[in-house]
Amino acid sequence: MLRAKHVLLASHGTQGARAAEKLAFSLCAPGASLHHLIVVPDFWKGMMGDDWLNNAATREIYGDYVETQLENEVRTHIRRLRKQAAKRRIRYDFTMVQGKPTECLAARAAKGPVDIVVLGSPRPRGKTGYRSGIELDKLARRVRRPILIAPFPK
Amino acid sequence: MIYTKKTPWTLIMGIIMVAYAYLVKSGVLEPLIKYLGTGKLTGEMVTLGYVFGGIAIVVGLLQLAVKFKEGHADYYLSTIGGLTFIMLVAFVVKWGLDPQMSAWGKAAQPALGFNFASIMNLNYVVMGIIAGIIVVNVFKIPSWAENGVRLSRLGLKTGVILLGTLYSLAELAQLGRLSVVLIGFFVLGSVGMVLWMGSRRKIPNSMGGVLSAGLGVCGVSASVAAAPVVQAKSTEIAYTIGTILLWGVLMMFIFPIVGKALGMGYIQFGAWAGTGILNSAQVAGAALAFQPDGIETLKVAEIFNITRVLFLPIIVLWLAVWYVKREQTGIKVNLGQVIVGKFPLFVIGFILMFALSSTGVFAPAQHYQGKFFDNSEAKLVKTDKEGKVTSKLLKDEEVALLWKEADKIQREDQKKALSGLVENKKLMSIDDDNALRGVANAKILSKEANAILKKAHGAVYHTAAKIGMFRDLIAWFFTFGLVGLGMQITMSSIKQAGGQPLVIGSVVGTVKAVGSLIVVMMFVHETI
Repeated sequence: MLRAKHVLLASHGTQGARAAEKLAFSLCAPGASLHHLIVVPDFWKGMMGDDWLNNAATREIYGDYVETQLENEVRTHIRRLRKQAAKRRIRYDFTMVQGKPTECLAARAAKGPVDIVVLGSPRPRGKTGYRSGIELDKLARRVRRPILIAPFPK
Repeated sequence: MIYTKKTPWTLIMGIIMVAYAYLVKSGVLEPLIKYLGTGKLTGEMVTLGYVFGGIAIVVGLLQLAVKFKEGHADYYLSTIGGLTFIMLVAFVVKWGLDPQMSAWGKAAQPALGFNFASIMNLNYVVMGIIAGIIVVNVFKIPSWAENGVRLSRLGLKTGVILLGTLYSLAELAQLGRLSVVLIGFFVLGSVGMVLWMGSRRKIPNSMGGVLSAGLGVCGVSASVAAAPVVQAKSTEIAYTIGTILLWGVLMMFIFPIVGKALGMGYIQFGAWAGTGILNSAQVAGAALAFQPDGIETLKVAEIFNITRVLFLPIIVLWLAVWYVKREQTGIKVNLGQVIVGKFPLFVIGFILMFALSSTGVFAPAQHYQGKFFDNSEAKLVKTDKEGKVTSKLLKDEEVALLWKEADKIQREDQKKALSGLVENKKLMSIDDDNALRGVANAKILSKEANAILKKAHGAVYHTAAKIGMFRDLIAWFFTFGLVGLGMQITMSSIKQAGGQPLVIGSVVGTVKAVGSLIVVMMFVHETI
């Protein structure tokens, strides 16, 4: 079985990403580091769309609400992974960024130290979820590290 | 945080605008203006070019020279770059692309068999929104322009407030009644339909809540207002807003094409767009796309928009109570807080402007019916600076033709009105005008004689200078707002359309669009 010291995991807690989490843990040698990257997709910037009827207070309440929602989702996610990492005695750290997932992952991989990049496979047709997945073609061209893709769970 | 970015672009755009205004004024661009047929726009080209260009030059220099500190001045000045950017896009589209597209449409007509520019409504409003969408999705909004682009919302609200000056009490009362009936029926109908479909398809209550507000009331704005109240999950918000944006953009293009194909009038189309289009911004866009050279359709559509937004606090309150009951969250719904918090303040501005204009501050009361009657010499005969006299009085040969056909008229009032017109070479009263319009509408006289009657009518009806100014100003505020809103419609948000919201949204959106079309065609007539 392949083992690595620095594993970069791209996951935002979806079904496919959870398979990647499992795979990433199994790749971590004892004492290895799991670097977790969470990307908040930049489409949220446009999620007020062309609203112009609301007053500033309503927009602010909405903005705060969405931010809190996303923050809670990320917190729960991090808490779960941190717990699993501690159980396996793996060092765990996370980075949260806002932007395009492919670009953010490529940038984080370039920053190092990273031996391998692990991510989930694209969502099968008909499954619901955000449409802001990673563009594998683009990623493969930009990342100078091995990339491992976990198959989508049955 | 310092918002004002050090960028040369504000200054550069300012110089371009001033240079363009100067070239127009000096006549250097005369051949281009002649080719594009934009001669009647030279006044606004010069005024707007100098005003916005001048402001951009001053602010651009300040941005480069001054080290800003945190505060209001910094924030306000940070918006000028984006504002100038939107205006520059609007100038290019309105003064360049719009007439050029119209020329291309005519040129391609023999080959295609139809005028594509006219059929697809490729006028400055539609192209302005498309330009905004292209800018944000292909090039991205430059960081120095972001704050200014957000200001476009203010442009639309100001446009609606100023629109208050253009309604008569009768118009407002009748349009208001019509909009309350139509909006009330379709808002409550679509909210109910979404909740019913939602329970059948077993979607979560939070999703049903945010979706019903968005599809029922005023699109993204309603979803933004309702999402925190019904505690929508992030995916539910993304799906719903994506679906609404997708529908809004599609409808903005489809509605005017259908409206023209069905030969709808301004009132019918304004009522249909105001009721059937999910998203409020696209209602204004579709109205201006349907009638880019006037604002009668916009006036009707905006009354519907205002009615929708007045329904918003009620619907949000309803959804809050509905959600709390269903989820048994124990949260207390504060009636006052919801109503006050969601009340659209700009509607008060609209009402205030209407009240002010009704007092005759801007122009005499009779002018608010649209145009006013004045047959005085001062209005009909003008002498320019070079002493050249232009007259709107009927010519001798025109009078002779009318007199020749006078025997065709039987009614006494119409006979009297015609003899008054022939004798004075102008219409003598509103009653005469009404009588002769009856003659023209009934096509009693020949085509040529009817054209003369139309000319005589046009000669004595005028738009008050201030009202004309308000019309131009309103059109520009909406253009600014819609180009800016185009810059906030991202493909990555639209791509989120999916899941149950897309299924339910497509069904409810179609039922609403088709249902409101049938109701409007059956019950709304072209007179108010």
